[in-house]
Amino acid sequence: MIATLFTRPGASRSQLFGLWPLLAVVPIAALPHAWEQPLWVTGVVAAGWLWRSFIHATHARMPALWLLVALVLAGGTATMSQFGTVTGQQAGTALLLVMIALKLLEIRSQRDIVVTLFLCYFLVATTYFFNQSLLIAGYSLISAWLITAALIQVHAGRPFPITRLARSAALMIAHALPIMLILFLVFPRIPGPIWGTPQPDTVGQTGLSERLEPGDIAQLLENENTAMRVRFDGPPPPPRQQYWRALVLSDFDGRGWRVDWDRPEHAPLPGGDGSLSYEVMLEPTRSRYLPLLDYPDQVPDQARLLDNLQAVAKQRLDGRVQYAGAARSEPPPAAPITAWERDRYLRLPSRAAPRTRELVAQWQMDHGDDESAIVNAALSLFAADPFSYTLRPPPLSGDRTDAFLFDTRAGYCEHYASSFAVLMRAAGIPTRVVTGYQGGQWMETGNYLRLRHADAHAWNEIWLEGRGWVRVDPTAAIAPERIETGLSGLFADDADAPAFLRRSGLSWTVHWRLQLTDWHDLLTYRWEYLVLAFDPERQRELFARFGLDPTDWRSILIALVVSMGAIGATAGLLAWLSRPRSGRDAAQRALDRLSRRLARIGLARRPDETAAGYAARIRAQRPDLDPMLQDFTNAYVHLRYAALGPSDATRFQKQLNHSLRTARTRI
Amino acid sequence: MNPRVRTLAVSRWQALREDLIRWVTRRHRADGVQAAITRDRVYILPTRQGYLLLLILLAMLLGSINYSNNMAFLLTFLIAGIGHNAMWYTHRNLLGLRLKVLPIAPVFAGESATVRVRAEDDSGRDREALHMTIGAYQSGSAHLEAHGASELEIPLAPLPRGSHGLPRQRIATRYPLGLLEAWTWLTLDSEVLVYPRPVAGTPVALAPDASHGEQAEVRATLEGAPDEIREYQPGDPPARMAWKAVARTGRLMVRDASIGAGRPIWLDWEQLPGTDIELRLSVLCHEVLEANAAGHSYGLRIPGKSLGPGVGPEHLANCLRALAVFGQRPPVG
Repeated sequence: MIATLFTRPGASRSQLFGLWPLLAVVPIAALPHAWEQPLWVTGVVAAGWLWRSFIHATHARMPALWLLVALVLAGGTATMSQFGTVTGQQAGTALLLVMIALKLLEIRSQRDIVVTLFLCYFLVATTYFFNQSLLIAGYSLISAWLITAALIQVHAGRPFPITRLARSAALMIAHALPIMLILFLVFPRIPGPIWGTPQPDTVGQTGLSERLEPGDIAQLLENENTAMRVRFDGPPPPPRQQYWRALVLSDFDGRGWRVDWDRPEHAPLPGGDGSLSYEVMLEPTRSRYLPLLDYPDQVPDQARLLDNLQAVAKQRLDGRVQYAGAARSEPPPAAPITAWERDRYLRLPSRAAPRTRELVAQWQMDHGDDESAIVNAALSLFAADPFSYTLRPPPLSGDRTDAFLFDTRAGYCEHYASSFAVLMRAAGIPTRVVTGYQGGQWMETGNYLRLRHADAHAWNEIWLEGRGWVRVDPTAAIAPERIETGLSGLFADDADAPAFLRRSGLSWTVHWRLQLTDWHDLLTYRWEYLVLAFDPERQRELFARFGLDPTDWRSILIALVVSMGAIGATAGLLAWLSRPRSGRDAAQRALDRLSRRLARIGLARRPDETAAGYAARIRAQRPDLDPMLQDFTNAYVHLRYAALGPSDATRFQKQLNHSLRTARTRI
Repeated sequence: MNPRVRTLAVSRWQALREDLIRWVTRRHRADGVQAAITRDRVYILPTRQGYLLLLILLAMLLGSINYSNNMAFLLTFLIAGIGHNAMWYTHRNLLGLRLKVLPIAPVFAGESATVRVRAEDDSGRDREALHMTIGAYQSGSAHLEAHGASELEIPLAPLPRGSHGLPRQRIATRYPLGLLEAWTWLTLDSEVLVYPRPVAGTPVALAPDASHGEQAEVRATLEGAPDEIREYQPGDPPARMAWKAVARTGRLMVRDASIGAGRPIWLDWEQLPGTDIELRLSVLCHEVLEANAAGHSYGLRIPGKSLGPGVGPEHLANCLRALAVFGQRPPVG
């Protein structure tokens, strides 16, 4: 009854430990969003943070409740009017940022700090909606580390030195990594979104255009960013065979060429001739093409192959995509071309390129119907002198084809492919333009082929009776180095070319930057291959290696239990091995062991006996053990009761162990 | 010592909670003055914050699944791993701790006693943010270094006169992340002794109902007769210093209890008027303290008990204890 006296409420109020770490962490977690969110959102976060920092520093008054309510309503309304919703990826993230900023102004208790820190964890995760680069991965790991450190400070009950917070949080993250890995590999993956569509990745939105007009690729050719990376099963093919076909353009309107999506599917491909398999990691293109190595032999699961050998993904590729393909050295046998088709591949607008047509008429008079002679005439035209290959061609005026062929005579793959196609069509040879990538950089360290946007290329295919569609690359006529060694072979010593193409005349800073970007590309590839591209398919392969199936919950359970058990056992073993042992404990254990051994001759230690008393009693019965007992007792007493330095402790420990061993042999 | 006091169940829920705790702790040994926190008595459950983080992690997981975002998966699982390991961190923060309750200094009614519990580590780990609660009273946050010790102080509210046993204690920690709480219940044994509040008795209040003529003598002796004062000798306790006499004579003078020992003062319950038990005890308490301060030999007579006459701190403590526990049932067992 008296104890009701103990139930009166105590008067302890917790202090606001951990407000400063929270204030330190919020801008760090919010920073990556500054690039993705409208300016006012960043402004609101900055204002909330400054206001709260001011209150913290000067003990100023907290904003009144009505003001907070008004601000929350205003924040919600602003988000709603900006995005028209509050739930999408960007709108939701904006709302989260605004609410964190306002929550800062409302923190009155430890609990509020903790809630805000949890929201910061969430905020870090939302970063990945917009960017999944290696840089962001590293940055967000640091953010998570700092948030964890702040959480420790909140619960430490006293101010910790920063070094200790940093160390403890780093250790926690290190300890959590194995669990993270296991869950990552084992947690069942399902393909595709359940609701909503993912926001397009903002990295690398450039790609091949679905329309080609001479002059278009120019920006691409200056772009050193990676477009795709390829890993070959076996040695890579020689560069002159590395034509990655992406788009097939068949319709010409006098100025440019347009892609032809609406085609029937290709007949099932017959087995290839010792086909070359490869795996592609394609950066987001915001289009539906999948570059395949000529000539396609196997088509990736996520695509259809059209009858013009153009692979079309089932949906727009807003994210990075990984696919496997195989190539053959010869084109698959083509079905005979229909009259309608033939007509289509010959079509030229009636008023297009009059001078070009005159030239072709001239050739036809010279060579008659000999198609290959006409093709050769066109290629020799390009190979002859006034034509040059340049990345910065002069602008074209009037009819583009005529202007290029007769006036400027300087251009790059697009100009040549486009005008070659016009020449062929005028000569009555069915022709189409193919765009894609050619060349690239073989990355020795990572053993992969890196194709930059700059490696974009355009070439032609002509229909020859009896042979089908044959690849002709007019660029090879004017600039064979472009095909054999890529752009960098062509511009290695050109001081006007972009730095990444050159191999000489570079300052060492630029040289180092290029080296660094190579390494970065390698790391990025590894990151994308190992982490970002881990999908249901890869998970299935992984599980299959252990005879399991990730769609079966029992398999998942087995994998989870076994791997977590292994980790738990390892952790337990490590903890046991590194457990702190004092000399005192060791001495006690040695005495217990001695007692257990002597129990065989009826001389167990009584619980109330001291070590010395015990030794005396043994001595009375077994005088032969005396020297050993003296050593033992001496070491025991020192280890147990004396303040010993480490070296003395070791010495007595040895003495103890030695005497114990002797005793055991004698008993 | 009093039988251990149980918290009075105020509501039905509290009663249920009490039953549950008793059921859970039924296998605990009763702790004496000290206890070691062994593996079999550490309990651990998520806190509200822990459940909140779980909720946030679920939301993150849903987002990761929906957008097939592998980096979000990684972060979610990283935090889940940290949360999982927090079980181990928090558990270890409590495990292996040795606790010893220090003797509680007795207080007078109206003052608050402070329970001090000494926590020691000998497993070589730093301990952080330990809290102990006794009923509704909480210690501050304590920490100790590896192989070190620290004291947890739990100030209690003022208790009424008497000898009180400590109710069940609870030591808990949420370090390092506050996601889980590890705790154990302890039954460390100690006594909170609360003396009566000293009340100076007025002569009127003390006036006898005439039949006892000794009262006048009591008053007189309490004021201290001059012949009980002698010169200071080395070894005399400073508390015996007769400052008035020092001022008067200019020499160091002390009161000598042995001089007055022949005529001990009897502080007698029966000589106090009135029926208010607490008041009588308070007055007696005051007189005992006065007599002790004056260095008199004194005896205490209360119903059912007679102490002394005697001098010294031990005698004082005995007298005060007798006053404190007056009327309380004697301990059982």
